[in-house]
Amino acid sequence: MAGIFVYSEDAALAGQLLTPALELKRALGQPVAVLAPDPASAAALAALGPDRVLVLEGASGSPEALAPALAALLAQEEAQVVLVGATLRGKHLAAHVAAVLGAGLASDARALAPAEGGLGVQRILYGGLAVSDEVLAFPAVATIQAGTSPAPAPSAAEVAIEPVQVQADARIRVHRVEKAAAGGVDIAASRRLVAVGRGFRTREDLDLASSLAGALHADLACTRGIAEDEHWLPIERYIGISGRTVKPDLYVAAGLSGQVQHMVGCRESRVIVAVNSDERAPIFEAADYGIVGDLYQVLPLLTAALAK
Amino acid sequence: MPNILVCFKWVLDEQDIKVRPADLSLDSSRAKGKISDFDRNAIEAAVGLVEAQGGRVDALTFGGPSVKNALKDVLSRGADRVLWIADPLAETADAFVTAHVLAAAIRQHGPYDLVLCGEGSSDAFNQQLPVRLAALLDQPCLSFAQTLELQGDRARATRKLGDSVEEAEAGLPAVASVLGEMNKPRIPTLKQVLGAAKKPQIEVPLAALGLEAGLLRPRSTRLGVRGFVMNRRNIIFKEPDAAANVARLAASLASEGLC
Ligand SMILES: Cc1cc2nc3c(=O)[nH]c(=O)nc-3n(C[C@H](O)[C@H](O)[C@H](O)COP(=O)(O)OP(=O)(O)OC[C@H]3O[C@@H](n4cnc5c(N)ncnc54)[C@H](O)[C@@H]3O)c2cc1C
Ligand SMILES: Nc1ncnc2c1ncn2[C@@H]1O[C@H](COP(=O)(O)O)[C@@H](O)[C@H]1O
Repeated sequence: MAGIFVYSEDAALAGQLLTPALELKRALGQPVAVLAPDPASAAALAALGPDRVLVLEGASGSPEALAPALAALLAQEEAQVVLVGATLRGKHLAAHVAAVLGAGLASDARALAPAEGGLGVQRILYGGLAVSDEVLAFPAVATIQAGTSPAPAPSAAEVAIEPVQVQADARIRVHRVEKAAAGGVDIAASRRLVAVGRGFRTREDLDLASSLAGALHADLACTRGIAEDEHWLPIERYIGISGRTVKPDLYVAAGLSGQVQHMVGCRESRVIVAVNSDERAPIFEAADYGIVGDLYQVLPLLTAALAK
Repeated sequence: MPNILVCFKWVLDEQDIKVRPADLSLDSSRAKGKISDFDRNAIEAAVGLVEAQGGRVDALTFGGPSVKNALKDVLSRGADRVLWIADPLAETADAFVTAHVLAAAIRQHGPYDLVLCGEGSSDAFNQQLPVRLAALLDQPCLSFAQTLELQGDRARATRKLGDSVEEAEAGLPAVASVLGEMNKPRIPTLKQVLGAAKKPQIEVPLAALGLEAGLLRPRSTRLGVRGFVMNRRNIIFKEPDAAANVARLAASLASEGLC
């Protein structure tokens, strides 16, 4: 009994969770178990060094619908640490598990390490204004964002795959699921980004940003409002505490104010450039270079200058 | 007619918090309180449902002594009553404790057909309280709702989950968490502000909830908080001549090897 358990419906993210799980194993001396959503990911994850792989059977439906069943399983196993991939579905599942285990849950946890009396974690407060160091008593649950650690190197050890029967929570009826069309570009991998905000007045005006991005060989990113309210760009393009975290060489922020909830997702970029008509916009404090001016005038000039 | 409860958190406005560069500690001395951003959307959603189909809205908050400052605000936004739990314990409470406190208050003052929360609190952004609450109340949770409707004894939501959008439905009683994009919270009118003064404010002492000590002991302890400081060059071109600014920026980018 006891153990460190890992779950994500996203198999690549589940692989990444094994890195902190295996580090904790060295300190806590407890086995690492993966809960895999299907046989294919079970086989892939088995090669990354866990001690056990449990493949969930009998369950169709969303990860959240499995929360009651997984919580019961983890309680029975007396899990000491549960690491869950920090997708929104994963966060829902983790919160349910934490409630059932009577455990603390660190959302978007980083820097996991054994600490006196439990599991030490770091997390963000006030939208990114501050970082807090916390200790969770065991049993402890944490959600971890994609890209926080690389997956471990494959290991040669043989692991048996154990089937476990789980039942989905039937209280929520799902009528229709629409997968967002994948935008083709993974902006986490982009070396240069041009990010747009509410300073753009219409969707067509984003052409100004696209042209600049073309001249810079950059991809487009945006603030939450541009994706979630206006739907001018896909959800996976928005940066910030509730969106993506990126670390490109160049981040050009045009017509966006630079509130901390946005900047927390891009502030580790190598060079940050701001174009904003309001000299007092917070983005200028966060920028290496900036132009105070109307983006409708500045962007075409900059595009032309760079094209030369 | 539905009896709706909105859980809201009274938080410091992060825009007023300064980081002291010397030791990275936080200076909150000038920070005012606010109703957590997405909780204003949850209040608006509840009030909108009741305006459309009748019913009533209670609001519930657990905080330190300063939560008293929230009461008029939440009532001006359309709640019929506010239940408030003010206790110093809130300063160190984690989501485990907060969920038990709110669930106990709901058991004592409910039942409610629907409990609404924000998708995440502006200070902690744990994104976990609504699901914990639902688990403790043994109710389904429609998390991350972009739209929400009540149809008889069922709630129907469009849930937005990053890479997918889903139409989901659950029987009442249920809990839901509201995305910031669901609506535009109203600015209370003078009449609403004046009307708020007459609405009931019900203090719920923590001790009256009868929670055993173990449920009030946080599972997560904060050791320390460090502010984040932006250490950037802040070279800002602001001549009246846009072309001159652009030329300087282009030269800077070239010196960085970026063009
Ligand atoms: C809990 C929480 C989580 C959040 N998570 C996120 C998140 O993950 N990502 C995110 O982006 N936001 C997030 N937000 C919202 C965030 O706080 C800001 O409100 C948002 O980032 C602002 O978007 P914006 O810069 O596009 O718009 P605005 O703040 O409206 O800024 C527009 C800017 O454009 C400038 N402008 C206007 N016209 C022109 C022009 N012609 N030329 C040049 N400049 C012009 C204005 O001066 C202004 O600075 C969150 C908020 C909360 C409370
Ligand atoms: N102390 C509190 N009092 C009342 N409601 C709360 C409290 N903390 C969190 N909530 C509710 O739970 C939601 C999510 O909070 P969190 O899990 O902290 O991100 C908030 O938007 C509120 O609706």
